Amino acid sequence: MAGIGTAALRLDGPAKVTGGAHYGSDAPFGKPLYGVLVTSGIARGRITAIDEQDARAEPGVVDIFTYRNIGKIVPGNIMDGDGYMGTSIAPLASAAIKHDGQIVALVVADTFEAASAAAYRLKIDYAEEVPAATFDSPGTETVAGVVASKKHKDPAVGDAEGAFAGAPVKIDAHYATATQHHNPIELFTTACSWSGGKLTVWESSQNMWGAKTGLALQLGISPDDIHFVSPFVGGAFGSRGSLTQRTAIVALAAKKLARPVKLATARDQGFTIATYRAETRHHLKLGATRDGKLVSVSHEGFEVTSRPDNYMVSGTDASTRLYGCPNVASKVSIVHADRNTPGFMRSPAETPYIFALECAMDELAYALNMDPVELRKVNDTQNEPIKGLPYSSRSLVPCFDAAAKAFGWSKRSMQPGSMREGEWLVGWGTATTMYPSNISASTARVTLFPNGTAKVQTATHEIGQGIYTVCALIAAGKLGVDPANVIVELGDSNLPPAPVSGGSNSTASVSNAVSKACDEILAKRAQGANGAIEAYAENIPKGDPPDAIRKLYKGQPSFTGGTESKDSIRFAFGAQFVEVRVHRLTREIRVSRTTGAFAAGTIVNPTTARSQLMGGMIWGISAALHEATEIDPRNARYTNKDLADYLIPVNADIGDIEVIMIPEEDSIVNPLGIKGIGELGNVGMNAAVANAVFHATGVRIRQIPIRLESLLVA
Amino acid sequence: MPNAHDALSSFSVITRRTILSSTAAASAVPLTMTRGQATPNAEPSAAPPLSVDLVVNNRTERLIIDSRTTLLDALREHLNLTGTKKGCDHGQCGACTVHVGGKRVLSCLTLAVSIREPIATIEGLAKQDGSLHPMQQAFIDQDAFQCGYCTPGQIMSAVACVKEGHAGSDAEIREYMSGNLCRCAAYPHIVAAIKQAKSATESG
Repeated sequence: MAGIGTAALRLDGPAKVTGGAHYGSDAPFGKPLYGVLVTSGIARGRITAIDEQDARAEPGVVDIFTYRNIGKIVPGNIMDGDGYMGTSIAPLASAAIKHDGQIVALVVADTFEAASAAAYRLKIDYAEEVPAATFDSPGTETVAGVVASKKHKDPAVGDAEGAFAGAPVKIDAHYATATQHHNPIELFTTACSWSGGKLTVWESSQNMWGAKTGLALQLGISPDDIHFVSPFVGGAFGSRGSLTQRTAIVALAAKKLARPVKLATARDQGFTIATYRAETRHHLKLGATRDGKLVSVSHEGFEVTSRPDNYMVSGTDASTRLYGCPNVASKVSIVHADRNTPGFMRSPAETPYIFALECAMDELAYALNMDPVELRKVNDTQNEPIKGLPYSSRSLVPCFDAAAKAFGWSKRSMQPGSMREGEWLVGWGTATTMYPSNISASTARVTLFPNGTAKVQTATHEIGQGIYTVCALIAAGKLGVDPANVIVELGDSNLPPAPVSGGSNSTASVSNAVSKACDEILAKRAQGANGAIEAYAENIPKGDPPDAIRKLYKGQPSFTGGTESKDSIRFAFGAQFVEVRVHRLTREIRVSRTTGAFAAGTIVNPTTARSQLMGGMIWGISAALHEATEIDPRNARYTNKDLADYLIPVNADIGDIEVIMIPEEDSIVNPLGIKGIGELGNVGMNAAVANAVFHATGVRIRQIPIRLESLLVA
Repeated sequence: MPNAHDALSSFSVITRRTILSSTAAASAVPLTMTRGQATPNAEPSAAPPLSVDLVVNNRTERLIIDSRTTLLDALREHLNLTGTKKGCDHGQCGACTVHVGGKRVLSCLTLAVSIREPIATIEGLAKQDGSLHPMQQAFIDQDAFQCGYCTPGQIMSAVACVKEGHAGSDAEIREYMSGNLCRCAAYPHIVAAIKQAKSATESG
C-alpha cells in the first residue's frame, strides 16, 4: 500500500502539463480593469510634482492612484519583527522616497495596453538626495545585531581570541556574497475583487493566513472578510512569504472603482517592490592543531538592510555550531542603506554564512595539507559546541562517505592545478551542507468517504515541493486508500490554517497534522462511525507555545527546531562534491558534474525530494557562478533588473547532478521523523564550487559569484 | 551561458520589436523609456481596435483588440487560455512559448494582429479524448518540473525542439532548450523527458 516513502509521481502533474493548473496570476475575474505600477526614479528624496495630464489623456485610462488619493493604508511591521510585511516602508503614505523603485503610482485602465502606455506618460518630478547604496557608501549606519533585535544572540563559548593566538595553524580571511533576487518565473501579480464588503485576492502566496491577516490590518477590516487564493504558486523561494505593499494598493483601487483590478507587475519592478537576499561580508578566523582539530572558530558577519527595518539573517546561529570546537566567538552587524528591505531567500541565513565557513575550512585543509573530507570528519561532533546540546540526529560522516565514493574523490590529487584534461583545468571541491529542521503548529481537515476516497484540506501552499502529493501519501498510508483517490485542497485561506511555507517546515508541519486527523478518523471508525467520517486536527509540536494554534489563526507560525529547542539541536546534513572545468586560456568556468548525499530523516516522497534537492544544488551552482544583482553606487539603483542581465543557469549550463539520500531515523524532530529538504540542497554548494575553482586553478576567490573575470589575474 | 534565443530567431511574423523600430509614429512606447519619466506632449499612443481572426487549437476566434496586444495577452486575457504563462514579457524566459504555423514562437514578443498562421497552445496539445501528448506524459514521468509555471512553455519548446531535429544528443537538447528558463531548476529531468518522448513526438 502506498504511503510514506513511496516514490510517487505528482498527482498535480496532469494539471501542470496541460495548462490546467491555476496560479495567482490566473485570476478568473470577468471584465477586470488592469493596473500597472509606476516606480520611483530616485532612491532618496521626495516627489515634488505629479503631472497626470498626458497619462489621463491615454484612451481607456480609468484612474491614477498616488499618495494624494489612495487613502489610508497601515504600513505594518516586517515578518522578522512579528508582523506580516516584507517591508515597513509604506510606498504611497507620503511624498517621501525611501528606495529606488518604490511604488509611486498605480495606473488603472480598461486594458493592459492602455495602462502600460499611460504609465509611461505619467510625469513625476523629484527632489533628490544622495542615497547610501551599500557597504562603504557614505551615509550608511552600522548597528550591532544584539542592539537591533532582542531575538538575536551572538553565540560564543570559551576564549576564541586566546585560543586563536596560540593555535599552531591559522586561517584569517574575509569573504563576501552578492545581492540576489529570487526571480520566480511567475511575476508579482495581484488581482482583487470586492463583493458585498468581502475581498477576494488572487495572489501567489507562501503564507495564505498570514497574508489575509496582514492585509486586514493594513486595510482596517476583519480578516474574515478577506479570501486569499492561489491553488498553485509559480515559484516562491521566500519571495512570497511576506506580504508586499502592492496588495493593499490594488485592493483599495478595486474598492474605489467597484470593479476587479488585475495588477500586471513588470519583471524589473519585482526587484524593488518585493524582497531579496542582501549582500553580506564575513571575517573568519579558524585556529587548529597540526592534526586538524579546531581550537578556535570566530565568525563576524555584516548584512545590508533598508533604512527603517532591522532585517537580518544571523547565520552565525548555524555556522558556530557546525563543528566541535571549545572556543567560539561571533558577531553580526547590520548596515542600514537607502534600499528596499531584504527578506527571506532560500536558506536565508545558512547560504552566506556557511559559504564563508566552508571556504575557510578548505583553506584550513590546505594549510594543514590534509584532505578536506578528512578535516570535516576530524571535527565532526554529535554535540553542538555552544551549549553542548546533542544533535537529534546527525549523519554527516555517512553522507561524506557515500558521496565521496560515488564521486570518486579518492582519485583526487591534492595539489591545485594538477588535474587537467586538454585545455581544461579540472578542479574537485567539497563542502558540508546543513539546514535547521523546523516544524510549526498546523491544522488539517480530513474526510474518509465510504467509497474508498478521501479528502485532505489545509491552507498550505504548492510552491513546487509537491505538497499535494505528500498530503495524499500521508492520508493514503494511514487510511489504506489509493493516493490517486485522495483529493487534496490547499492554496485557499478559507481552509484550516497551515504555517508559512518557508524555513523548510511545510512537509513536517502539514504531514504531522494530516496524520493526526487520519488517526482521529481511524479512532472514530473503531468506535463504530460510518458514512463519511470527518476529522479536524490541530497539531502542536512539542516545544511550541500553548497558544500556538491561536497564533496560527492569526497567520503566525510557531517554529520549533534548529537551535530553538532546549533539549537538543535539530538539523539535517549533507555532503556536496563538485567538479569544475576552467579553460586554461579563456578562464571560462563550467560545472561538469556534482554529487550530493543528504540525510534528512523520513523522506515522504523520494521522487519529489530528489527534484527538490537537485534544484537546490543548481541554485548553489547559480549563486557561486551566475547570480548577482548589480548596484550603481551613485544612485543606489539596481542595474540588471531583467532575466537577460540577471544571470541564472539555463539548461546548457547544467551538467550531471547526482542526488543520494541516506536513510536516517529521527524520533525527536517530530512523530513522523521528517526533516525539511527545500533549503538543504543549496547551502553547501556555494563553497563546494568555490573550493573546486581553487583546486582547478590555485586561485582562491573569496567573493561570489566567481566569474571568468575573477580568474583573469591568474 | 547562452540565452539561446537564436533557436527561436526564425519566426516569420511581425514582432513588437520590429514594429517599434520601423514605425516610430505608430509605436506605443519606446522600450528605452522609463515609466513615470515621460517627456511632455507625447503623442497619443492608442490606435482604433482592430478585428482579427485567430485560429487557436483548431478553432477560429474573432477578436476585436488593440493593435498593441501581444499574442500572449490575447490568449490569456481575451480567450481565457491561461495555460500560456507570462514570466517576463520581454522574450527572455520562454514561459510564453506557443506554436505558430508549427514553429515555436515567443507569444509575448508577437503582436496578435500580425498572425496569419494557426496557433497551438498547451491547452491544445492533448488529444480530444484527453489522453496526453507523449511529451506531456514524459514530463510527468521524469518529474521534469516543480512549481510548473514554466512547464507549458518548456513542453511547447520541447515538442518543437524534437520536430526541428535538435534532440540528437543531450548536449544538443540542452542547447536548444536554453531559451526556456526554469527557476526551480528541473533542467536534467527536462532533458530526460525529451529523450523519453523523442521517438513518439517525431512520429506523432
